[in-house]
Amino acid sequence: MNFQLTEEQQLIEQSARDFAKEFLDPIAVQLDYTGEFPKAVIAELANHDFLGLHLPAEAGGAGAGFVSYVAVIESLSRSSAAVTSIINNQAMASYAIQTWGSDAQKKQYVRAFIKGETIGAFAVCENGPTTGIGPDALNATKTEDGYVLKGTKAYVRNAGEAGVYVVFAVTDAADPNALTAFVVDASAAGLKVGPRLNTMGLKGCPVAHVVFDDVKVPETAVLGSLKAGREIATRVLALASVAEAAQTVGIGQAAVEHAAAYAKQRVQFGKPIATLQAIQTLLAEAATDCYLARLALRAAAQLVEDGKPFEAEAAIVKSFLARLGSKILVDSCQVEGGMGFSESMPLPRLFRDIAGTTLLDSPADFPDYAIAASIA
Amino acid sequence: MPKCLVCYKWTLDEKDIKIKPADSSLDTARAKGKISDFDRNAIEEAALLVEKQGGAVHALTYGTSAVKQSLKDVLSRGPEKVYWIADASADAADACVTANVLAAAIRKLGSYDLILCGEGSSDVFNRQTAVRLAALLSLPCVTYVEKLSIEGDTVKATRKLDEGSEVATVKGPVVVSVLGQINKPRIPSLKQVLAASKKPNEEIKITDLGLKPESLQPKSVHRSVKGFVTKRKNIIYKESSAATNVAKLTSSLAAEGLR
Repeated sequence: MNFQLTEEQQLIEQSARDFAKEFLDPIAVQLDYTGEFPKAVIAELANHDFLGLHLPAEAGGAGAGFVSYVAVIESLSRSSAAVTSIINNQAMASYAIQTWGSDAQKKQYVRAFIKGETIGAFAVCENGPTTGIGPDALNATKTEDGYVLKGTKAYVRNAGEAGVYVVFAVTDAADPNALTAFVVDASAAGLKVGPRLNTMGLKGCPVAHVVFDDVKVPETAVLGSLKAGREIATRVLALASVAEAAQTVGIGQAAVEHAAAYAKQRVQFGKPIATLQAIQTLLAEAATDCYLARLALRAAAQLVEDGKPFEAEAAIVKSFLARLGSKILVDSCQVEGGMGFSESMPLPRLFRDIAGTTLLDSPADFPDYAIAASIA
Repeated sequence: MPKCLVCYKWTLDEKDIKIKPADSSLDTARAKGKISDFDRNAIEEAALLVEKQGGAVHALTYGTSAVKQSLKDVLSRGPEKVYWIADASADAADACVTANVLAAAIRKLGSYDLILCGEGSSDVFNRQTAVRLAALLSLPCVTYVEKLSIEGDTVKATRKLDEGSEVATVKGPVVVSVLGQINKPRIPSLKQVLAASKKPNEEIKITDLGLKPESLQPKSVHRSVKGFVTKRKNIIYKESSAATNVAKLTSSLAAEGLR
């Protein structure tokens, strides 16, 4: 058993770390304040092949595998999880189209995603109790030459910046659980992006509701086959939960490193506080949580890469981090005391961001269902 | 079109090195390796030259068995092939030994129009390898280079000196050592990293270089290496009279050996 990244994966991870220092560190604070979409960084990400990292070489991607993807997301998230939220959502859309799309859909969208020319968004959430149920549910009504989409997708990341949306709609009112996935151009008549939501963290990654007001799409807009949407969404969301865990570990690692550096230079009682046992306990607990989460994360990513079932392990990572992700930040803030509470330090931003990566897409108790189902 | 060879050193990353509090010795157990900083500039400059005007870039390194960890890294940065010499002698090698080994390897590899080195290594920063290498190969050497171009067989190099700069024009082959400001080393893209696995690397056995035993004998010996730690005494003179405080300060300094 080998818990180490391969030499190639280490080089990819190092490239991501170097990229983050050069391109993300200088803008991370500004993004948090302004929430401005980082277009220039998206172009650089494409130049360095990060947007096609997970896609096969024949599609124009780097074909580096899911373990490398997770290592890159963790490394970039140490500097800006807002940027990795954009990448992850883009990856969800590009992975879905590459995996289930027609040749025409792949040709039209995938290379544009990889080059950063088109941003993708994966829109599955709705305001109702579950997707497909409720007054705002997105419905697709069959017409002679395609479908008409009506309804609202909620909390869509990359909304407003995306050139294309992968959305899920009910095509059979009698069977609302059988969703169908559609690929919809942002320029389609009737597609309206609502006001941007003011989120707690991960600012820079825009979030908004997207309204489909009788949006006409051709039959060729269907992704995969009719009523295959639930399967597509489930698979993509499971993969995304691993990628989000990588964001959480990256944020946690950044917090631990900052707290440790602070503890070494902050002198109290005539010596650096890093030498005080109470501080050492806080640092040790935060570092331990981070280390164990990374091992579990990489184990889940390896299962994905090997084509094995990974959903229960992904849920375990998600559940572990839902409980301990924020604690890593609490412990790190505690090390820095009053200074850690100051917006002049990075911990408040990391605090807000880690809340996003542990809460979004599935509430903290949701993974427990998947874990319990795998053993009982 | 120039044929370039870049010599590089695989060093420990200084940010991973810790100083042991007990005796200030260095703890390198967890230190990762890296291509020495200025050597990255040399690699980048050769890659830029060849991308601009064609030619070829090869890389050459001499080190302990750890140099094998550097091969994919260096190949992801532009060179199309890397030659490596792994031998235990590198552990104690000084610039003299390093230059002897590199020169012997270059004689074996054939002629290059341009041999590039970093001005100094990240670890010991002796700044001797390039000049010694040039002397051993009977080639001209241009050091402290911050700008470089090649036209035909002529190398034009701008040297940064203490009181200004000078432009040296030299007919190749030539050995050039570069400074950090000459360029910004690339962050290899993922495709460049993945392509590195498909590029060739070739081991050169040190025993095949025909070196005499004395060529591998370092002229300088490191007895020990210790980290530099600033220890402040935090003495505050609190007498009401400034003259008394000054007198106490000067006597304290004298006690420390400052006269």
